[in-house]
Parts: sequence; C-alpha cells; structure tokens
Amino acid sequence: MLFVHGFGCDQNMWRFITPAFENDYRIVLFDYVGSGKSDLSAYDADRYATLAGYADDVLDVVHALDLHDVILVGHSVSSMVGLLAANREPERFARIVMVGPSPRYVNDEGYVGGFERKDIEGLLETMEHNYIGWANFLAPAVMKNADRPELGQELTDSFCSTDPLIARRFAEATFLSDNRADLAALSVPSLIMQCSDDMIAPLAVGDYLQRNLPGSTLRVLKATGHCPHMSHPDETIAIIQEYLANPAPNAGVAVTHA
Amino acid sequence: MSVGSPGGHAAPSPSRDEGATDDVSRLDPLLDNAPCGFVSFTDDGKVRTANSTLLDMLGYERDELVGAHIEKVFTVGARIFYQTHFFPLLRLHGRAEEVFFLLRRKDGDDAAAIVNAVRRERGHEWVTDCVLMHVRERRKFEDALLRAKEMADSARAEADLERARVQEANDLLERQAIELEVGQQQLMEQAEELETQAEELRGMNDALIDRGEELERLRAVAEEANHAKSAFLAVMSHELRTPLNAIGGYVQLIEMGIHGPVTDAQVDALSRISRSQRHLLRLINDVLNLARIESGRVEYNLESVVLRQVADTVLPMIEPQLNARRIRCEVAVPPSFRALADREKVQQILLNLLSNASKFTPAGGRVTVDAFADAEPNATVSLRVSDTGVGIAADRLEHIFEPFVQVDDSHTRRSEGTGLGLAISRDLARGMGGDLRAESVEGKGSAFTLSLPRPLKQ
Repeated sequence: MLFVHGFGCDQNMWRFITPAFENDYRIVLFDYVGSGKSDLSAYDADRYATLAGYADDVLDVVHALDLHDVILVGHSVSSMVGLLAANREPERFARIVMVGPSPRYVNDEGYVGGFERKDIEGLLETMEHNYIGWANFLAPAVMKNADRPELGQELTDSFCSTDPLIARRFAEATFLSDNRADLAALSVPSLIMQCSDDMIAPLAVGDYLQRNLPGSTLRVLKATGHCPHMSHPDETIAIIQEYLANPAPNAGVAVTHA
Repeated sequence: MSVGSPGGHAAPSPSRDEGATDDVSRLDPLLDNAPCGFVSFTDDGKVRTANSTLLDMLGYERDELVGAHIEKVFTVGARIFYQTHFFPLLRLHGRAEEVFFLLRRKDGDDAAAIVNAVRRERGHEWVTDCVLMHVRERRKFEDALLRAKEMADSARAEADLERARVQEANDLLERQAIELEVGQQQLMEQAEELETQAEELRGMNDALIDRGEELERLRAVAEEANHAKSAFLAVMSHELRTPLNAIGGYVQLIEMGIHGPVTDAQVDALSRISRSQRHLLRLINDVLNLARIESGRVEYNLESVVLRQVADTVLPMIEPQLNARRIRCEVAVPPSFRALADREKVQQILLNLLSNASKFTPAGGRVTVDAFADAEPNATVSLRVSDTGVGIAADRLEHIFEPFVQVDDSHTRRSEGTGLGLAISRDLARGMGGDLRAESVEGKGSAFTLSLPRPLKQ
C-alpha cells in the first residue's frame, strides 16, 4: 500500500491508519519533494507547477522500489495525483483509494467545486502571513506532551513544507487544478471516501466523481471535515479494509454503498 | 522525498485537564473579559464556549456562536487553511502557536487574528482551546512588509534576469572579442604574408627591370654589332670587288692578246681564272646585297612592271645553264600581268629562282614559269617558278629562307653558292610589299611563288 499525503502535510498524517495494514501489506510512505523531510535542493519549480510533477514523484517511488499491484491511498489532492499516475502506468496499480478527493475545487459552469477564485486567493494570503518571519512555525521544536514520548524526536523535524514559495506553488497547483477530463481514462478500480460534511470536497463533488470515474465505489463517511484519517481513523480503516476485502467492480461499473 | 515506515505509533493522547467542563457559566470573569479572544471547540468544529472579548471582536451574540461550527467565523480561505494545516497540526502535535487567521465578522468584514491553540480532552470529549489576538496595525505592517518583500523578490528576479542578460551579452561580447582577436591575428598574418609576397614581387620586378635593362643593353650591343657587321661587310665587299674587277680586266686584256700571243693552254687557264673571278664576285655581291638589306639601306623604285617583260629579260641570262643540263624551260606568263614593284629587284628574284631551279633539277628535267592573279581587285599578282627537281623535305622547307641554308650537305657540294639567294629574294619581295613562299614534294619537285602588289590602275 502506497500512502500519499496531501497539501499541507507530510507522511506523518497517515500514522493513525498504517498500523492497521502493516501485517497484511507492505507499507510505503514518502514525502513529495518540497514537503516533509524531502531534499529541498531537488525542488524544481517547473516540475511542480502542475499535479503532473507530483504524479512523477509517485511513479519515481513505484519504480525505485519496483512496486506492482499497488494500492494507492491518496489524501485530498493526492487522489488526483494517484489518478494521473495510474492513467500513465495502469499496469502498476491494483486499486486507488481516494480520501476526500476533488477533480476541481473552483466552481465552473455546470459544476460545483465549492470555491471561487477569490477564496483561493484568501488561502494564499493566509499562508503568506503564516510563513512571514517564522517560516518554521509548522515545525514545533519539541513535543512537550509526556504521554506521547513515542512521537518524540521524530516530530521535531518539519511537519510541512517550510518554504513559503514551495507551499504557495503547491497550493496553486492543487486548488487551481482541473482533472475532470482525466477521470474517464482511469482503468484501475477506485474507492471514493467522501466525508459527510467536508467544506473542501462537498457531497456534490463526490457524486460527480462517482458518476464520472469508471469502476469507482463511493462511500460517504459519518466523519466530518477533510481529514477523516486523522479525525476518524477507525471508520477510515474499516471502510478501506472492507473495500479491499471485496472483489473490485469492473471498470465502467460504478457501485454506491449505502 | 523521504520514504519510511511509520512504525507502531499510537494515537496521541490529549493534554489532561481533569475536572474542566465546557460550561459557559463557569467561564471565569477574568477570562471572559481578558484582553484577548478565547474560544473552545470540539474536533467536529462545534463551538463550546467563547468569551466576551471574542464576541465583541466578531460582532456576534453568545448564543449565535455557541453551538455553531467554528468555520462560521473563518473566511473561506481561512477555512481551507484550517482544514489543510491547522487541524492536522492540532491532531498530530496537539498545539499550534502564532497562527495567522482571517476571521469573518458577522457584518461580513474581515478581522485578522493571531491564534494560539491547544487540543485537550475535557468533559469526555476532545476540545481545542484557542486564544486570539486581534491584529490591526500589525497586519497593515505585515501586509506592507509582504508587498515590499514581493516587490523585492520580483525586483531581485528582474535583477537576476537582467544580470543573466548582461552576463549573456558579456559572454557574447567576450566571444566576439576573441573571434575579432583571432580574425585580427589572421588578418595580420595575411598582411605579413602579403607583405612577404609583395617583397618577393618587388624583388622579381627589380630583377625583371634589371634583366630588361640588361636585355636592352644587350640588344643595343647586338644592334651595334649588327651595324658594324653590315658596315664591315659593305666595306669589305667593296674592298674585295676592286681587286677582283682588276683581276677580271687584266685577264680579259691577256686573253685579247694585248700583252702578246697566248697559247691554247694559256687561254684555257685564263678562262678558269675568269670563271673563278666571276664566281667570287657574285659571292661578294650577294654578301653585299644582304648587308645592305639588313642595314636597311636598300631603295625600291616602285613602278608598274609587266611581268612578261621581266621573264623575257631574265630567261636569256639563265639559258646557257639550262641548255648545258638539257633542261627544258616553259614560260606561260600573260602579257597583261603587271605588278607594282622595282623592276630590277623582280629580275634579280626571278633570276635567283631560275638559277636555283637549274641547280637542283636533274638533267633532262623541266622548269616552268607561269603567273596568276587573285580575282579580287587590289590583291596580288604572282609569278611562279616550278621545277621537276629533287624537292625539299617538309621539315626543311621552313628553313630554306634563312641565310646560308641549302637543302642539304650533299647538294651543297654540287650546287655551289653562298646560300644567301633565297634569304635576299624574300627580303626584297617583302621590301616591295609582297612575299616569297615555297611548296615542295620531296622527289617530285618544288614551286616558288613570288607575290607582288598590283598597281592601282592597270
């Protein structure tokens, strides 16, 4: 299972999920270049200007570890990154699990994404102010909670991208992306995990995806918010396990579970 | 990228705050009126409590906010930031500090705040307690700082671009300078080479001038020598002819018996002396003629000459030689043919040609004199002497007009002469504006054609 973090975090976001799959699957985690503990010197602004560059990162990991029958679990924007990677090399992938996916965040004619362009600019402004002066605010120096010593030193490292330019570019690549035209090409079975109240990926987006993704299964979670793997890890694990336990529907047949 | 395995991490436990509840009534008056906003909300975002300072900041009544979703007080951009950054941070780290948020007041205006937050379990649920510092002037300052930073960044980018352009232009100039230097080097080398060549050419030119001067000097010397030769020959011929004429005269006197009776044997001897004297005189005359011609001292008295008359005059002079060798002579010259020429010179040439013919034609042969004229007016008229003699080889034909040349050595023995006849004849022909040409087939005979200008009026 290849877990791919979304915008704003790094591979640590999966820490509540991966233990449940460790016994049955090989677990692979990584940080995109520009995020987490990646080598920032490898960052190429042109490569990461669009999601295709992040799909390159996914395929680089797949090739480097020579992975086959990959179950890709992607959060948020990485659902679409996984889709792009699977469209490029479908033979490598067995299933795509999408946590809070959206093919387009900005509203369009006849399409509800949930946001207007100015909302994205508001996000960029908020990010700017948060990166000014104390760029490493997202990297708390010490975990002071004595009851979590196991997290200890590991989390003293950066939690998220600490470079404001990289973070801004990732935000733009994410929230200004439009992958609606790529959906129909997916030949790998997919699971759409839709939270019941997610302002980033509204219910309408989940419906849109389920209609347009061949071989997709839509599950609407009781969990609210955009990060069920962190806010409701048990439900998230159960749904993924259930999905993986059942045979995947053929591509082109969409199944909705109640 | 960093790839790793998460290990067996357990969900983080919240900070303990035993006995605390979310009961608004228990909000300490000090906290309620503290000079900063305070809000507490669950993991699901439901607001449990908010202090008066925050309510004032946002323009809400307490019951409008408590129970509502915390996102209600965020701008849309702040909601995204909350979902993508703030919530994961709280969930994974349990706290967040100095986070900038754009809040939305009830009246729709934005209110910026710096937030410190701690996530903890209280009253059997997980809540996040936040304090919010309203930032107004600081935000303006930060905005200005950000704009300035943006401008600085863009100016730096521009400067980098400009520097790159300058560098590129510099590199280009440097390359061009190098190319120019190389080109200049090449030009200098070429110039040096040209200079060397010019030097050589100057040297050659000087040598040629020297050579030319030398040649000019040599030519002058040769000319002088030639003049001297001609003068010498003229003088010598004259000096030789005088005693020879004396010898001839006195031989005739002795033959005539003026100095007493002569015996038959003496007559015979005198005849031999007389023949030798005439031969010698002829040789000397030839040499004298050539010398005169070469020194340009020959005068031509051009007149309309009837060629038939010339032939009639010359033929008796050569008849004794022809008869002696039983050579038949045929003359076929129309009486109307005239040439613009010096009569005596034409006679001399014809005599020379007939004399040669008689010498080189075997006994019993035939000599023909005929004439023809070009059809065109003002062209030439020609007098031709043909024989049935030994002929002349083609490779010798071109040399026979050179002085002192005869057909070959074997003929020289039986055909005595100076070898000057043809050279003199051609010089004379050319001196009159005509020419003398020869054609021959070896063993069959030769033909010499004297061409002369025709008189303008006939």
